[in-house]
Amino acid sequence: MRVFNRIFMILLLAGLFVLGAYVVVYAFDLFGYKLQSLPVTDFAKGLENFVAGVEGGSLSVMTQIILVLLAVLGLLWFIAELRPGAPRRVRMGSGTYVTRGVVEDEVSTVAEQVPDVLGSSVGVKARRSPGAQVDLEARVRRGEDLGTIKSGLQSTVQQRLSQKGLPVRKLNVKLVEADPRQTKARVQ
Amino acid sequence: MAALATEGVYSLGRGRYVEAATYEGGEKVSGVVVTPEDLEIHIVARYPLPKPIPEIAEDIRERVATEAGGRKTMVVVDDLEVMGDEGL
Repeated sequence: MRVFNRIFMILLLAGLFVLGAYVVVYAFDLFGYKLQSLPVTDFAKGLENFVAGVEGGSLSVMTQIILVLLAVLGLLWFIAELRPGAPRRVRMGSGTYVTRGVVEDEVSTVAEQVPDVLGSSVGVKARRSPGAQVDLEARVRRGEDLGTIKSGLQSTVQQRLSQKGLPVRKLNVKLVEADPRQTKARVQ
Repeated sequence: MAALATEGVYSLGRGRYVEAATYEGGEKVSGVVVTPEDLEIHIVARYPLPKPIPEIAEDIRERVATEAGGRKTMVVVDDLEVMGDEGL
């Protein structure tokens, strides 16, 4: 959401800057542009008709739908803004925290010690409650028994992390069949 | 110093996202953030870990308790230093 806000604000401010430049040019009659030549009266008349239509309840169905959609969009945006952002560090409880990088390194190390895993990539999301959400993608040779590897990998990672005291709230394991020539390790 | 002497602590961390340091009297102490209510200690843990991280954190809390002045102590593990990789 923060990235979206940043992009939105940059575009809004850029638009305001351009409008401001136009206002200065027209206000001081620069480069042959005059304030009187702007079609302001047409715009003002159109706006007046629109407001009169809203007050009189005589808007077209399409306009009403657009206005309702804008209101809903604004409400959703407002709710999204009120939600606090995800924490950056993984909470372990009782005032102890680890950075996501530490959990990623540990999960990656453990996963790559499993004989069938040729390579891995790990994503860790911190949560407000203790424990992290770990998304582990492990690359395995084609034709292996994926179900057995997945359950074995899941239990090994859970066990090793709990031994180290790293709390994992949710562990998602995804196995990807890969060509050993393109993985980190060809043989385990 | 008390935190550094704890088993499993390789060094004090510098903070991952913002610098973890305290400035006072023209001096800068890295790895420790002191506020009136809280004490935040950033560490780099030695790997393989001699004990689970919560136990290392508890040892640090016990060691610094006398100097914490009643502040709530938080321990943040910034990184792991794999033994044998030093200087790489």
